[in-house]
Amino acid sequence: MSWLRRVLNTVRSSRTQDEIERELSFHIAERVDDLRARGLSEEEALRRARQQFGSTLAQRDRTRDADVSLSLDDLLRNVRHACRALLRTPGFAITVVLTLALGMGANTAVFSMIDAVLLRSLPFPDADRLVRLTEITETSGEITTAAVRLYDWDRLATTFTAITNYVTEPVSDTTGVEPEMARRATVGPRFLDVVGIRPALGRGFTAREHRMGGESAVLISDRYWNRRFGRDPNVLARTVRMVDRSYAIVGVMPASFGFPSDDIDWWVPQFGDAPWTQNRQFKGFFGVGRLAPGVTLDLARRDLARVQAQLATQYPRTDSQLRPQVTPLKDALVGSVRASLWLLFGSVSVLLLIACVNIAALLLARGAQRRHEVAVRYALGASRRSVALQLLTESAVLALVGAVAGIAVAAVISRAFRVLAPTLPRLTDVSIDGRVLIYTLASTVTVAVLCGLVPAFRSSRTPTLRSSTGRAQLSARQPLQWLLVGVQVALSVTLLATAALLVRSLDKLSRVDTGFEPANVLTFRVSGAFGEEREYIRTVERINRTLDELAQQPGIEATATTLSLPGLPGGVAEEFRLVELNRDAPITAQLRAVSPSYFDVLRIPVLEGELCRRPTDEHGTTEVMVNRAFASRYVRDRSAVGLHIAARSPDRIAGIVGDVREIGIDREPVPTVYHCFSAATPIPLYLARTHGDPRAAIDPIRSTLRRLEPLRSVYDFVPLEQEIDNAYAQNRLRTVVLVSFALTALSLACLGVYGTLSYAVSLRRWEIGLRIALGSSRMGIVKQFLVLGLRVVCSAVAVGLVMSLAFARGLSSMLFEISPTDPATLGGVTLLVIAVAAVAVLVPATRAAVRAPAHVLRAE
Amino acid sequence: MPQRKNDVLQGTLALLVLRTLDSNPRLHGYAITTRIQQASGDLLRVEEGSLYPALHRMEQQGWLRSEWGTTDKNREARFYSITAKGRKQLVAEQETWANLTEGVGRVLRTV
Repeated sequence: MSWLRRVLNTVRSSRTQDEIERELSFHIAERVDDLRARGLSEEEALRRARQQFGSTLAQRDRTRDADVSLSLDDLLRNVRHACRALLRTPGFAITVVLTLALGMGANTAVFSMIDAVLLRSLPFPDADRLVRLTEITETSGEITTAAVRLYDWDRLATTFTAITNYVTEPVSDTTGVEPEMARRATVGPRFLDVVGIRPALGRGFTAREHRMGGESAVLISDRYWNRRFGRDPNVLARTVRMVDRSYAIVGVMPASFGFPSDDIDWWVPQFGDAPWTQNRQFKGFFGVGRLAPGVTLDLARRDLARVQAQLATQYPRTDSQLRPQVTPLKDALVGSVRASLWLLFGSVSVLLLIACVNIAALLLARGAQRRHEVAVRYALGASRRSVALQLLTESAVLALVGAVAGIAVAAVISRAFRVLAPTLPRLTDVSIDGRVLIYTLASTVTVAVLCGLVPAFRSSRTPTLRSSTGRAQLSARQPLQWLLVGVQVALSVTLLATAALLVRSLDKLSRVDTGFEPANVLTFRVSGAFGEEREYIRTVERINRTLDELAQQPGIEATATTLSLPGLPGGVAEEFRLVELNRDAPITAQLRAVSPSYFDVLRIPVLEGELCRRPTDEHGTTEVMVNRAFASRYVRDRSAVGLHIAARSPDRIAGIVGDVREIGIDREPVPTVYHCFSAATPIPLYLARTHGDPRAAIDPIRSTLRRLEPLRSVYDFVPLEQEIDNAYAQNRLRTVVLVSFALTALSLACLGVYGTLSYAVSLRRWEIGLRIALGSSRMGIVKQFLVLGLRVVCSAVAVGLVMSLAFARGLSSMLFEISPTDPATLGGVTLLVIAVAAVAVLVPATRAAVRAPAHVLRAE
Repeated sequence: MPQRKNDVLQGTLALLVLRTLDSNPRLHGYAITTRIQQASGDLLRVEEGSLYPALHRMEQQGWLRSEWGTTDKNREARFYSITAKGRKQLVAEQETWANLTEGVGRVLRTV
């Protein structure tokens, strides 16, 4: 097996070398013996034997070359040589390594996010079979559905292993001395079948526990077990307390399990027979299902559509207008981040590409300087392959060192991302692990090849010594170098245009008139739960009392409750009917449930009519407020005040308020109906308008509630401005990152322009000197180089603009009130690039002309 | 002055080595040079510089195999022997050589 031997020889080349030496010295020893037998002295014999044999060293190498074609030795020698060559030019090496470290570091960091957020599957067995189930209606779009409908789907659909539902809410944990906030998930039957995880300790829920009046039961998280019970192995005999009731712990979930979110402490059984789960219109339940083995998404969708058609005939009033929606759970969780992440990844890859092109240009210039060295190596008998390999090794060494430094950079960037984008889904999964390192390794190889191949090929093309002195043979035009520069400029124009559009969007967003005043408003929650009071009116009374008491505190001007914060993405559209106007077309509007004081707290003016009154009965108000958009769109020829609006029961429109960007500050105000009910849920969001810094009100609020509701926890204190900020943190981060990429790209491109032109000038300095000596005008020479550089820059800018326009459509969903082809932005970018590049061109062009010709000519 | 060369002609070294090893089952490199020299009546001298690269190359081709052993004088040496593939190669090379000498001879005789 000669090839096997060859391979083995490559690996154990040192042994072979030793063997060859032994074989050769044996030969010499035998020859010496023979010569001595013929009567020569020992020294003479040795001398003659050596002479006859020639250089042992050369023999050894030639013999070894017969053994192995490409040995590890060659590689090591190349690496050694490369390191030495690079250390001789530390400036060059450091520039390249730093460029690569930044380029690959940023690339690795973004990839680690993509990997964690988009590529890796969720931490469940066969996680790709998990789907989110929602319903879509004409008027409200995709929304969560009713628990009873999910029960029906589970019962009737044949393509699912199981379907379940859940809701999460913060509750007051009174197990310890002080009440604390605990995150509770109320889960439907078969929840554990869907997620495919069993409790690490104990059991799941029984059917009886899923019925009202059944035994109380709770599954606790590993974290909670640790925090509250110190991992007590007898925890199954213990209970937790919620407000004033005890729940028997029936099991502990594994540490790795965190669904619907990582911070869930308790899972409690949903009562399948409760009024709120049996109500087909009470749509607040998240549906999640597990597809049966072998079932495709498409099949499941058709199956569920069939089931829903059946339900529509059975319950025409509630079920005929909706369609079930099946989305892979991962897609549902990742949602809008996907586009942003790919945008970041795309731009960071473009940046890396620019860096590679830059390095390739540097290597090319370096190759030109090393013509002499290469020519000498050819003269000494090196093959083109070995010279090219040597040059490639250099770029491989650079790429490798750059990658190692890049991983360190990536670790830093990752940490920064976590701080800057805390709302990113699955953020805790982001880490630099084996997969990411493999990616880095792969990109290192790509980078080494991208950077090194063309220069290695080019530079190894000079086989004679003469060319190293023949100045005339050096082309000063270097079309390849200029092409590389053009690519850099074009790519950086594209990046800059994208970044500029995002910046302008963000700027417009920060100046938008939202219709309310978020400054000096504090938001928080007070724990509570459905079913904690026998009569809901008690809950209504409690919330109203809390609002009134808090409003009396010094430093607090007014308080309100709401179901959702204004200015944050989200919201539910509902279908209404105006009782007095006999119109066929349905009216759709956002429905928000707020306390009447909401408008005062947020400084939303009442434009017409008067403020609704606070309802005192348990079903809420009979009065609503509508915004101006609602009134002007749906009630044209008369005042909307006094009309009755009906979703289920008719409510009187008490007044009209100003338009507010309720469903996101990046969205135009839409017709909105405000349901004046402070207690639409037991755990509404509280808003407090404060005098001065909202954070100063935290302590007074805590102490008031301790006095008022000693068993409840108060938590999630966040100023409203910050909430809105956080909601758009992803936008901001995306913009900041992209701007920094774009500016880096621009500076790299300018370095490329500068370097290439400087080099062109240096090659022609003799010619320039001569021309000046012969009376050429210096301005003419400056102009000549200026034209040379700017011609490349301008055509590259044009190409870059065309590329930006091509990418514009993908970008439009991330922009706010600006077109992706906005001429002002693109024009500005064009001017900026040309201006900056002009400076990069002007410096070497001027330097060419100011040199004293005599000096240059003498130096030659 | 005409050049006289008694170094083994390039390309014939393999033939000579194979032929030598065909009749002598196990020889070390030095013995191969001396055998060739003796057999040619001192007309041919193997250039020592090319012997070992050639041996190793032939081993890579699978014509020879080698192993370490000790000589009569108790020295460590690498011994070469011919393989079946090497014998086939020997036949082929002998044929080539015969054709070559025949051809060269004809040219010398007729021209």
